Amino acid sequence: MARPQHHPDASALNWIIASAVVVLAPLTLEFPLWLSFAVAGLFAWRYAGLHHGWYQPGRIVRYALTFFLAGAVFKEYGTLLGRDAGMAMLAGLIALKFIESRTIRDYLLVAFLLYLVIAGDFFYSQSLAHGGYMIIAVLVCTATLIRLNQDHARLPIVSFRLAGTLLLKALPLMLVMYLLFPRLQGGLWGLPSDAYAGRTGLSDSMNPGSINQLSQNTEPAFRVEFDGDVPANKDLYWRALVMWDTDGREWRAGKMMPLETGEPKKFGEPVSYTITLEPSNKPWLVALDRPSTIPKLAFPRSGYLIQGRSLVKKRVRYDMQSQAQQRTDKIGDVTRQRSLALPDNTSDRVRRLAASWRSQYVNDRDVAQAALRYFNQNEFVYTLEPPLLGQNPVDEFLFETRRGFCEHYATSFATLMRAAGIPSRIVVGYQGGEYNEGGEYMIVRQSDAHSWNELWLPNEGWVRVDPTGAIAPERIELGSDAVRRLSSQGLPLGSLSPELLEQAMKLGAMARAWRNSRMLWDNINLQWYRWISDYTFERQEKFLNNLGVYAPTWLGMLAGLLGGVALLTFAFAWAMRLRRRTRDPVVVAYNQFSRKLARAGIVRGSSEGAKAFSERVVLSFPGQIAAIDSITNMYNELRYGDGSEELLVKMQKLVRDFSVGKKEAV
Amino acid sequence: MPWVNPLSGKTVSLTNRTIYMLPTRHGFMFSLLLFVLLLAAINYENGLIYALTFWLASMAMISMLHTHRNLLNLKISAGPCAPVFAGETARFTLVLKNELAIPRQGLSVLVGKNEVGRIDLEAGEQGSVTLPASTLRRGYTDIPPIELSTNYPIGLLYTWSRKIKLNHQCLVYPKPAPSRPIIGGIDNEQKRELGTRAEGDDFVGVREYQFGDSPRHVDWKAAARGQGIQTKRFGGDARSIVWLDWDALEGIDTETRLSQLCRWVIDAEAEGMIYGLRLPGQQIKPASGEAHRHRCLEALALFGN
Repeated sequence: MARPQHHPDASALNWIIASAVVVLAPLTLEFPLWLSFAVAGLFAWRYAGLHHGWYQPGRIVRYALTFFLAGAVFKEYGTLLGRDAGMAMLAGLIALKFIESRTIRDYLLVAFLLYLVIAGDFFYSQSLAHGGYMIIAVLVCTATLIRLNQDHARLPIVSFRLAGTLLLKALPLMLVMYLLFPRLQGGLWGLPSDAYAGRTGLSDSMNPGSINQLSQNTEPAFRVEFDGDVPANKDLYWRALVMWDTDGREWRAGKMMPLETGEPKKFGEPVSYTITLEPSNKPWLVALDRPSTIPKLAFPRSGYLIQGRSLVKKRVRYDMQSQAQQRTDKIGDVTRQRSLALPDNTSDRVRRLAASWRSQYVNDRDVAQAALRYFNQNEFVYTLEPPLLGQNPVDEFLFETRRGFCEHYATSFATLMRAAGIPSRIVVGYQGGEYNEGGEYMIVRQSDAHSWNELWLPNEGWVRVDPTGAIAPERIELGSDAVRRLSSQGLPLGSLSPELLEQAMKLGAMARAWRNSRMLWDNINLQWYRWISDYTFERQEKFLNNLGVYAPTWLGMLAGLLGGVALLTFAFAWAMRLRRRTRDPVVVAYNQFSRKLARAGIVRGSSEGAKAFSERVVLSFPGQIAAIDSITNMYNELRYGDGSEELLVKMQKLVRDFSVGKKEAV
Repeated sequence: MPWVNPLSGKTVSLTNRTIYMLPTRHGFMFSLLLFVLLLAAINYENGLIYALTFWLASMAMISMLHTHRNLLNLKISAGPCAPVFAGETARFTLVLKNELAIPRQGLSVLVGKNEVGRIDLEAGEQGSVTLPASTLRRGYTDIPPIELSTNYPIGLLYTWSRKIKLNHQCLVYPKPAPSRPIIGGIDNEQKRELGTRAEGDDFVGVREYQFGDSPRHVDWKAAARGQGIQTKRFGGDARSIVWLDWDALEGIDTETRLSQLCRWVIDAEAEGMIYGLRLPGQQIKPASGEAHRHRCLEALALFGN
């Protein structure tokens, strides 16, 4: 029995102080400075009282301090409840409880409250780092709990090792409970807040150069898990926004259009996937071109876009389906007008170029092909460092600089098509992505931002045309990362032979290792998010479905939980029985000898004596007779006679050196 | 638990069926903590709080196995117990033997509800706990029934054994009566048999000191001169032979008689006398020394049994 009324020894208290420091340290980032100092001061006071005999406060002083704490917290936060004020009160009360603690019972209560603080810290963040911190904090607190139950000081490693053993053995049980404890049904937007960091991303207006700012930003924009095969890179057009209006310099999403009437006709196998979108502080959700479903709690926008109910301030996760081939219906008058509008400052050179194609071809598609050929056969260059453009960027780009990237090509192409009388618009989003093999998902980064065009063609509806592909097919087929690497090697895009391309794309060993470790780290973080922050009602149901359990009830889950826990506990109890007996080093050494022989095919019978066994062994290994006899004699001497420590060492050495392989040598 | 039979025997080994377990007060406090954590996890849909809650709960489950194992297969027996006089405290030695390859810590020995000893045992170690028991009457006194209990390692659960009543006793001599001159007959025939002479208290020489010699006969002057400790030998009356006789104390009740005889045995031994004991139905021949003293006192302790 413990003696809760006893006073712990002074070194046990150092443990409590140490675990309080470990547990409360991360919270100092959230606490006001005075509180951190006050808590630290109270702990120091108690320490000084224990080890240096300082005055310790009496009851009245403690009550006064408690009231003072409540007042100060109220003044700081305007309340005593809620996350921040609650945590501040908890930390202060722990310090006050500690300073009045005398018996083991009091200190155990402090240790329990410290566990509560660990949990409170997770209100602030559930990141991987906090998970790691939890492991350390729980280990320290548990070791302290063990230390408080020890009668006298032992090496700290004793408490830590035992705490580690308990916590490690607890992991499988915890896993069962964690996975099977029924989660309540929650909403998509009720997800806990993670890092709010990522705010860069697409914007709803574009002028040549704006996407370029993103090209250096390798932060993830979103991650995608595909249910089936991953489509080829060239088909990975992630749609976010449509731009309709231009003033000749800038393109904007502009006013919202009424939703398209009539479902588009869809062809082909739908692609199912789940997107985990990083916070963007923007309302739109990305989807693979072209979405055929709308996720829960989101709604469609014209231009086949999807929008959330509010700005995406937290990471969100949603399931989607897309079909690449869709034939949209007739175009409305308002839409046609808007997708043909050209600003007055469109230059004559541009209009003439478009008119020349128009007069040459009847078919809209042929006109578009002519434009793409124009890009391809003149000296247009794809570069992420284009020259600056002046007041009339389309004209300057098409006839003078001819150096640019997706934005330049998309804006010029749209202008040319409108000048030729073909309804066109610009789609902004992302293209490509980096596949994480370890995690079987795709990371799409801000640097994968891309813009392309859609033309409305009779009988076909809105059709995607990507003029960048005419200049730099590598961008579309291999992705933005490939383009960066090729450019850094000074290779021209669009004219590389496949062999040269393959050679240029080959990663060095270092680069591969670096890429793999980055991918691994990203995967760990995503899995962490999936299994910790996002393990909600829906995910749990999906997980159980994968296990073959359909329509699980909470009663069934609880039964499974209890069954699993009971099973594991009995398994542990059973495993612990096996390790109960003292291991006699003599027997251990002899068993090692027997194992070596067993590998050579001579197995010792369960009731076979050492002497009889050795006689049998000698027949097979006559060359080893000296060693075999020595080991056997020493074993008998040590086990049944009075063998010395030295003899044991000798026997262990003989057994180590014994090798059945020497059979051939003799 | 009064409704189960206590374990008994010379050596008792604790098995699964003889160990019980319940949460401690702190165990209940801890489950309250877990409940609060679970509510927080559900309310805020916080995955890490769920994880922490279940981790702590699992740890408590696993600690149950450890606490249980702390007692399981523990071997309990009793070590020797030095005889005492009635009224003194008998000190039983409880021997606890850990035959497992793991250490056991915080084992506590309870008599009634009181903890009388605590012990830690390393792997394969054996240790002992002294078990004091007050004695009232002469004769054999039983080792008090004990329970073993532990709440190591984390104090959330405690496990205790069934009551253990070892087959072990401690001899209790009668309570010595107040000092009184020895009334005892001297038997001349006996004297001759023993080969001692009756020539008064003449100094007859010295011999090497032997354990049990009266300090009054040590030649302290010689010892001071550095000649080693020697015992002066006297002939005759100095080593008087007495019979401590039951019949010499007629008219007193049995226990008082035994107490008186007990006192005389102690005194006679202390005086360096050669003494014998006569009790109804048995007689111990005159002799001296620790073993003889014990024989006499034992006879007194067990008289009438």
